[in-house]
This record gives sequence, structure tokens and C-alpha cells, in this order.
Amino acid sequence: MSGAAGRLDIVGIDKHYGAFHALRDVSLSIGRGEFVTLLGPSGSGKTTLLRILAGFETVTGGQVLLDGRDITSLIPERRDFGLVFQGYALFPHMTVFDNVAYPLRVRRVPRAEIARRVGELLDLVQLSGLAGRRPAALSGGQQQRVALARALVFRPEVLLLDEPMSALDKKLRGDLQQELRDIHRVLGTTFVNVTHDQEEAMHMSDRIAIMNRGVIEQFGTPAALYRRPASRFVADFLGKSNILEGVLEAGAGGPCFRGGGLAFPVPGAGRSHGPVELMIRPEDAALGPAAATGGDVEFTARVCESTYSGDRTLYTLAAPGLDRFLVYSRAGGGAAQDIGATVTVSFPIRECAVIGASSPV
Amino acid sequence: MALSVGFGLAFLIVPLAIVMPLAFNGGSYLSYPLEGLSLRWFGAVLHNPPWLAAIANSFRVALGATALALVVGGLAAIGTMASRRLTAIVLWALFVSPLAVPSIVMAVALYFAFARLGLNGTYLSLVIAHALLGAPLVFVSVLNSLRGLPPELEQAAASLGASRWMRFRTVILPLTLPGFLTGAIFAFVMSFDEVVIALFLVSPETQTLPIALFAALRDRLEPTLVVVALSLTLLSGLLIFALARLRRSAAPLGKDQ
Ligand SMILES: Nc1ncnc2c1ncn2[C@@H]1O[C@H](COP(=O)(O)OP(=O)(O)OP(=O)(O)O)[C@@H](O)[C@H]1O
Ligand SMILES: [Mg+2]
Repeated sequence: MSGAAGRLDIVGIDKHYGAFHALRDVSLSIGRGEFVTLLGPSGSGKTTLLRILAGFETVTGGQVLLDGRDITSLIPERRDFGLVFQGYALFPHMTVFDNVAYPLRVRRVPRAEIARRVGELLDLVQLSGLAGRRPAALSGGQQQRVALARALVFRPEVLLLDEPMSALDKKLRGDLQQELRDIHRVLGTTFVNVTHDQEEAMHMSDRIAIMNRGVIEQFGTPAALYRRPASRFVADFLGKSNILEGVLEAGAGGPCFRGGGLAFPVPGAGRSHGPVELMIRPEDAALGPAAATGGDVEFTARVCESTYSGDRTLYTLAAPGLDRFLVYSRAGGGAAQDIGATVTVSFPIRECAVIGASSPV
Repeated sequence: MALSVGFGLAFLIVPLAIVMPLAFNGGSYLSYPLEGLSLRWFGAVLHNPPWLAAIANSFRVALGATALALVVGGLAAIGTMASRRLTAIVLWALFVSPLAVPSIVMAVALYFAFARLGLNGTYLSLVIAHALLGAPLVFVSVLNSLRGLPPELEQAAASLGASRWMRFRTVILPLTLPGFLTGAIFAFVMSFDEVVIALFLVSPETQTLPIALFAALRDRLEPTLVVVALSLTLLSGLLIFALARLRRSAAPLGKDQ
């Protein structure tokens, strides 16, 4: 059982609600069979973009192309896109079977084939025993699977998901994320998922589009976004980060960073003057002198706060010129530090990223 | 609390309670004291062709008017739902306006309108006139249940490939059926009890039950009158009971969605 997959090109989409500019010149190319997530804070325009893809919202400008064909003004029922709504939108007066059979009945598929394909899909989402139930008699996770089965049973080229996990608890969310990935691998359909849960986005997606105030800040693989953020917004939004603000200066062995009370060479900065923001992730820094941790840059700081989470502890530090610096310390990686204690911190220069640069330092 | 309920009930029930026993009068007069209990006047109604014709007319007109009101009121509600906010408000006022016009004004207007068309005295004129009053009732109750329907349900059906008509038939209609039924019952009862407009539009052949009652009242005061009135009341009571059941069965649907 494998599905078709479509290629989606979103070209320069603009969307106005009255005077409000909800989407600005949004362009994305989503490849055949890719799993893409739109990630961003509340109000950034994710749902708006998804509804434009589904055909429920008109655009003010720009185009949506499916396999090169312009579908910008095609009505939803002609798009043949699967769509999973945030609240699932199951038909309350129909059984699970009838819900999943609905798109096939609409397409006048013969009865025997409907029974076969619905059975197949219910197997895929592990709901075979519940075909006769009404949605009201299902748990949230089960309803979510019915919605998924219903949106996939007619073998759409593209599946759109609007925050499919937001109503579920954390444990169930983890299970379903895994299942959704498996289903995606089995079917090979193009998935476009919306979420504001960055972990969900990182776990499931081939590529993530980070949205902020109607603009795509960056579109790339989870690793690329995490290691080489194109903007300070992306660096802050994905995981925890330390941003060092300063300037680049020409030094003896190439460009040199100076800022936050620190100065060190950044050989791969690509330029040697002007203001710059460097990002260093808390897991790349360590407590202890550079010689002991394998780092290059070392400074002393005061512990302001510590947050223990079993496998590791997050320390919030402050140093002259740096009002906040985060460091993870693995369990067993040294004695716990008290608040107010003075510690030595170090990090390797090769783990620093120049924000906005396309390659690592 | 109990006092106010008691007072309200007394106010509504006492007149009925005084009149109703007269249906079972053994004598021929519409007055107390009863001359023994008997069902003879029920038999008299059932064997009296003019009464039977009036009952048949009333059903015919009420059913026709209900059907027409359902189509017109239902379509109006669906159209209003699909309109923008401001348009919807204007449409709402327009579709409900027949309820605000005094029946006598409506009656006179319809009388002249139908006279021009040569429709006076026909069933059609009565059906149209009563549908005019029934449609707003259907409109209001259907609009209410449409508003209670989450818009994602229709969008889901659309995304699954269902055409507009298919979405209506398989999703919207089944889920708003209580609204349609409520509107239908209101429209039916309204037509069945309507006097003023019917008075202007009936011919001797199309005379409805309330008009026949009215005429009989002038003729002679017989217990058959009360028998007919009692039957009318019982029918209305039955339909109102059905309405109450509908409201109950509609409630859980609204809740779990
Ligand atoms: N119908 C509308 N009319 C006016 N403004 C709208 C409309 N729909 C959305 N907006 C605005 O457009 C912006 C983007 O909305 P959208 O629903 O796409 O956000 P989102 O990224 O999905 O947010 P969330 O994570 O909260 O769901 C918001 O500021 C919202 O207020
Ligand atoms: Mg949203």
C-alpha cells in the first residue's frame, strides 16, 4: 500500500485580512514525499498558510502549484488533499467505519473495495476493533487516528495536518509522532504539518519552515536550523541558546570576535569587520577550565540559577559583560554547584555559529 | 415560587378546564350542569361530513404550507449562514419580518394579491399564505441549529471531496434535522390554528377547521364545537410534546461536538 506524492510550490504568497498583513511573500518548495513542518509562535500565520494550501482561504497575491499546475483558486473538493483538523472534525452521526468510508463513497468506489480499503487503513492506524463505534465513544488519541485514516484512505497526493497532536497528553503525543512517521514512510505521501511544538517538529520533519509574523524566517533540515540559524529569532525559538553580541575585527590569524567581555579568533567567520552575533548552544559549553573540557575559550562566572532534570542540570550563569549564559552539565560530570558560587566555563570555538551565515564557523 | 407557578397554571388551564367537560355532555346544550356523561358528540363529529371535510382541509393546507415553509425557510437559513456578517443581519431581519406584520394587514394584502391572480378560494392561496407565516419559523429554528454546527465539519467533508449538495445531504442535514423538525412543527401548528388570513381566503369548499368552528359558533351552540376544540387542543399538545422531546434529543449532539 503506497500512495502518490505531489510536489508543492508555494510562490510569493501574500495574504491580507483587511489592513492586517497575515502572510508576506511566502515561498516554499516542498518535494515529493517530503515531511515538512510549519513551525512558529501563535499568530505567525501557520494555519492561514495551511488553509490556503487546502483551498479554504483565498490569497491576496502569489500562487500555489501542485506538480507545476496552478491550483491557487481550485475549490477544496477538487484538490484531493487529505486534511486533519486541529479538533479532528469527525462526523458525530457516523460510525468510525462510515467516517473513514466517507471520501470513498463520495467518489463512488464499489462497496467491496470500500470495505477492503477502510479495513486496510483501520489496520494501519490500529483501530480495527472499533469500526462500529461513534466518535463520541473514542478517546482523543483514537479520534485523532480516525481523522488520519479518513484523510488518507483516498490516497491523496498531499496530507495537511493542523496541530494534529495539540489536544493530546505528552506521552500519547510521543507515540503518535512515531506512528505518524511510520505511516509517512510506508505511504510516501507528501506531508505538511503545522505545530508550535518545536520538539514535535524536530522529531518528525525532513525539513522545517520557521514562521514569524507572516514571514518564513528559515527553511531547512532540523539539524541545519539548530546548528546554523539564519536569524536570532530562529536561534532563540529552536531550543536554548547563548547569543554573544559583539564585533568582528581583523586579527593576526584572521577575523577576531570581541564582545561580552570575551575576545577570541573565529577563523571561519567569512568577514573580518562589523557587528556580529555568535551563538553557542548550552550543551556545547561546559563547566571547568578549557584544558579539562576540550574547549578553547574560558571565563569565570557566577551561578545565578540551576535547574535539575535528572540526566543533566541547566546552570544559568552571569559574568561581567554577559548577563546570561546557559550551560548544561551532565549528571556525574562534576559536583553540583551552589547558587552564588564562582565557576569556570569553557567552550570550543568550532561549535560557535555566526547567526545569518550559511556555513559553520 | 410555587405560588407563581400555580398562578400561571391556573391562568392558562382554568378556562380550558371549565369548557372541556362540556364535550362529554349527555344533553344538547353548551351549558352546565351536565346532563349525564356521554361520548355521543364525538360520534356526531365523526359522522358529520362538513366537519370531516374541514378537518381534511386543515390537514391538506397545513401539510402543504409546512412543506413549502420548510423549503423556503430552510434555503433562506442556509443562504444567510453563508453570507457575511452584515448581509446576514439584513437577511435575518428580512426573513423574519412576516412575523412582525399584523395578520389583518397581511390578510388584506394577500386577499387583493390573490384576487388579481384569480387564486382566491383555492387551496393554493391558503398554502402560500400560511407558508409565508411558517417560513420565518422554519428559518429561525434551522438557522439556530446551523449556527450550532462547527464549520469544520462541512470543511472536512469538502476536503474529502464532497460536493456542496453532497455535504448538505450527508453532513449538514442529518446534524440539523432537529432544527428542521422543530420548524416544521411550528409551521404546522401555526397553519392549523390560523384564523384571520384563512377567513379572507377560504371558499366554502376550502374551509379549514378554525373557520368551520367560527361559523358553527354563530349557527348553533352544540357540544360538537367543544369536541372539535378539544381535538385541536390535543393535537397541538401532542406536537408540543414532540417538540420538547426533540429539544432533549438535540442537546447531546450540540454538546459533544
Ligand atoms: N479571518 C481572519 N480575519 C482576520 N485576521 C485573521 C483571520 N484569520 C487569522 N487572522 C490573523 O492572522 C494571523 C495569523 O493567524 P493564524 O491562525 O494563521 O496563526 P497560527 O500561526 O496558526 O497561530 P496558532 O499557533 O495560534 O494557531 C493572526 O494574527 C490572526 O489574528
Ligand atoms: Mg493555528
